Amino acid sequence: MIRVERRVLTDRLRVAAVEIPGVRSVSVLVALEAGQWFEPRGRAGVARLTAQSLLRGTLTHGPAAWGEALDELGAGARLDTGAHAAFFTGQCLAEDLRAYLGLVADATLRPAFASAEVEFVRTHAVAQFEEDATDTRAVADRIFRELLYPVGHPFRTRALGDEAVVRSATVDELQAHHRQAILGGRAVVVMAGAVEGAFAAVADAFGDWPAGPRSALVAVPHARFERGIRRDEVVADKTQCDVILGWLAMPRTDPRFTAARVANMVFAADTFASRAGHVVRDELGLAYYVFSSIQGTLGESPWTLRMGVNPENVERAIATVNAELAKIIAGDIADDDLSLARDKLVGELVVGLESPGGVAHQVLEAELFGLGDDHLARYPDLLRAVTKDEVVAVAREFLRLDRCAIAVAGPPLPTQT
Amino acid sequence: MPLTRTLANGLVLHALEARHAPVVSLWVWYHVGGRNEVPGTTGMSHFLEHMLFKGTTAHPKGELDRLFARWGASFNAFTSEDVTCYLETVPKERYATALEHEADRMRNALVDPVEVDAERNVIVSEREGLENSPDFLLGETLQAVAFDRHPYGQGVIGSKDEIKLMTRDGLYAHYRRHYLPNNAFVVIVGDDEAERLLDQAEAAFARVEAGEPVAPPRAPEPPQMGEKRLVVRRAGGALPIVQIAFRAPRATDPLACALTAAAAALGGGGGSSASGRSSRLYRALVESGLALNTGASFQLMKDPHLFYLDATLKPGVAHADVERALLNEAAKLAGDLLPEREFAKVKRQLLASSAYASDSVTGRAFRTGRLLATGAAGSVSEWHARLQAVTADEIRDAARGIFIERSRVVGHFIPEEAGGAAHDGAIGVAR
Repeated sequence: MIRVERRVLTDRLRVAAVEIPGVRSVSVLVALEAGQWFEPRGRAGVARLTAQSLLRGTLTHGPAAWGEALDELGAGARLDTGAHAAFFTGQCLAEDLRAYLGLVADATLRPAFASAEVEFVRTHAVAQFEEDATDTRAVADRIFRELLYPVGHPFRTRALGDEAVVRSATVDELQAHHRQAILGGRAVVVMAGAVEGAFAAVADAFGDWPAGPRSALVAVPHARFERGIRRDEVVADKTQCDVILGWLAMPRTDPRFTAARVANMVFAADTFASRAGHVVRDELGLAYYVFSSIQGTLGESPWTLRMGVNPENVERAIATVNAELAKIIAGDIADDDLSLARDKLVGELVVGLESPGGVAHQVLEAELFGLGDDHLARYPDLLRAVTKDEVVAVAREFLRLDRCAIAVAGPPLPTQT
Repeated sequence: MPLTRTLANGLVLHALEARHAPVVSLWVWYHVGGRNEVPGTTGMSHFLEHMLFKGTTAHPKGELDRLFARWGASFNAFTSEDVTCYLETVPKERYATALEHEADRMRNALVDPVEVDAERNVIVSEREGLENSPDFLLGETLQAVAFDRHPYGQGVIGSKDEIKLMTRDGLYAHYRRHYLPNNAFVVIVGDDEAERLLDQAEAAFARVEAGEPVAPPRAPEPPQMGEKRLVVRRAGGALPIVQIAFRAPRATDPLACALTAAAAALGGGGGSSASGRSSRLYRALVESGLALNTGASFQLMKDPHLFYLDATLKPGVAHADVERALLNEAAKLAGDLLPEREFAKVKRQLLASSAYASDSVTGRAFRTGRLLATGAAGSVSEWHARLQAVTADEIRDAARGIFIERSRVVGHFIPEEAGGAAHDGAIGVAR
């Protein structure tokens, strides 16, 4: 059982900590609610460019000095921009927590946005577009998003964004986004491990976060997807196709999300124990990897099934997934499959306690989406209470076969050669 | 230090307590991998690893998958050049059952012919997925070129043709030959007394009969007498890559600790990682605008292997410039002592990474097993103490000993021009 201690440092910054006796380190997650959802409309890529620029120097440390200070702690740290938030994910030794948080806060609150450093970040992003153009997974990801989301929706692109925007974004634009979405937005700090003195350390590090109400949210167009469509794109000189079947899911705060997690597990979340994964890989040998996932965001986030398939087997693999999904939608779910899905999700909560990072991630979701202070205590029972009817209802509404976007990227299919 | 017990059948058990979470992590390490294969059967150990999930005489295919899934367990396996390893991290009340299942599949796997054929396609698919990556293509070719005699040159997954030709009888013979208690060891870490962890493991494995001892393969690699170079060209990659591999000693060599520290000093990084940006390679290649990311690695291996440097080039930069920069950094490390502050940083990084891994039950079990498998050390704490004792002189001397022209392999990945085509269609309509 996780015992979470919480503090509200300002109306924009919440902190949660979990003590794990007997460990020497602290896992630290800082979620800045400045991901794609909070990006200026039509400016896809600005959130990630802004976030990456935080690592390129502050008003008090040049980029080399900041990196040197981090490495001298031996701390692990990365910064990823996601659909909902930009995440600092890291780990440090317990005795370094104050210094580590100081560095993270410095980058978050006082980035320099020097022109040369922004150009450094831009150059890397543009190169990533170039690399992704020949990466079958990235191409499939781009395609299904273009099919599923309307123009202007934040999830129409990956966090990397739109290349034209990335090329044209100005320093002023990034600074404005920093003021609006990061300093003016909300953040959550979660720490797990040897956390003695952690709240004071966060208060010292982030104490000058500007107070005030959250900045007005960007209006996000409602995503509707009421057709089935598929696009195949040839990526030269590849051996395997990456295939994505994508649907629109519900926000994390939707009461049906827990049932959706169970439905996802019944469907394909586990390659071996879920239905589509088992049939596609274990029974038919059509793919090495096949799995489904549902993201938690404030909007209609993607619900996807992804698999890597030889071009000869693409049609059969898609048909097999659809057949398994049709059974779920029809209510053809064995009691054992349903109980296994529920048990696995509950069991993963226990096994996840084995590392500070695992504990911190469990806490983060509840804190980020305001699921309630007692969420972690209630969550196992919520999972166990999901009924077959609820799973079927969620699948019928959200995983409709006629409202699926299918993306295939890789070598030519037999019909294309 | 782990508590160790050797059973009458030769199986060695190692147990460590980790009481911060109600879980137990169990790892069974077999001394068989790509190193034990010969041309014509490359990939056999890895193929066999897949077959160990396809049922035993007591438990039909799928039963374990569902059982471990129901517990929420981490349940997996991997094959390397040196070992094949099976692992599960389970709620503590389940670990005795998990041990029973591992003992069962040590000798009783079916390796059913029908399942072999079905799994063959999965493994081909695994290989084809890897082939989509330019990094893999270049790395596989470089490894093949680096070794003239030693089976390390064959890699792990095997060639696609040999995967397709693999027979059930060949796989089964490989299984019976190598999956023996006297050719394996167990690491078990978790929320129970170490003695009790050992007792439970002994109860599960003691009845497994020993077999004919397996002699280690003897294929010593002769000295390399000059630089080797190779180029891989493909359209399936947009960015050029440089990989350089130097001959490096085995894990039990006295230089192994110093080379581990050397890899940390050279370091690297890139992408979303904020760590490693003060490393020598990052500064010399990424900050300077030559590369997008870069890295250095030295792996603990049973036999002499390779020390790698690599970089993904920034568009428009020539391979030669990046190669020169990588070699220049290697030469500097071999020429001068690390300054005091940098030396302290490297030590701190090694200390911290050890703590991070050990703070996870699974990580502690893995690190212990990896050191034991190669003979590098008897425990994480012993290895760590040796790392902390490494001097700046030893790092420089170790670098000087391996960063030499005649024992290196240089590989370039060169992207070629490609065209593509897109096809849209409503579902159900022929394209």
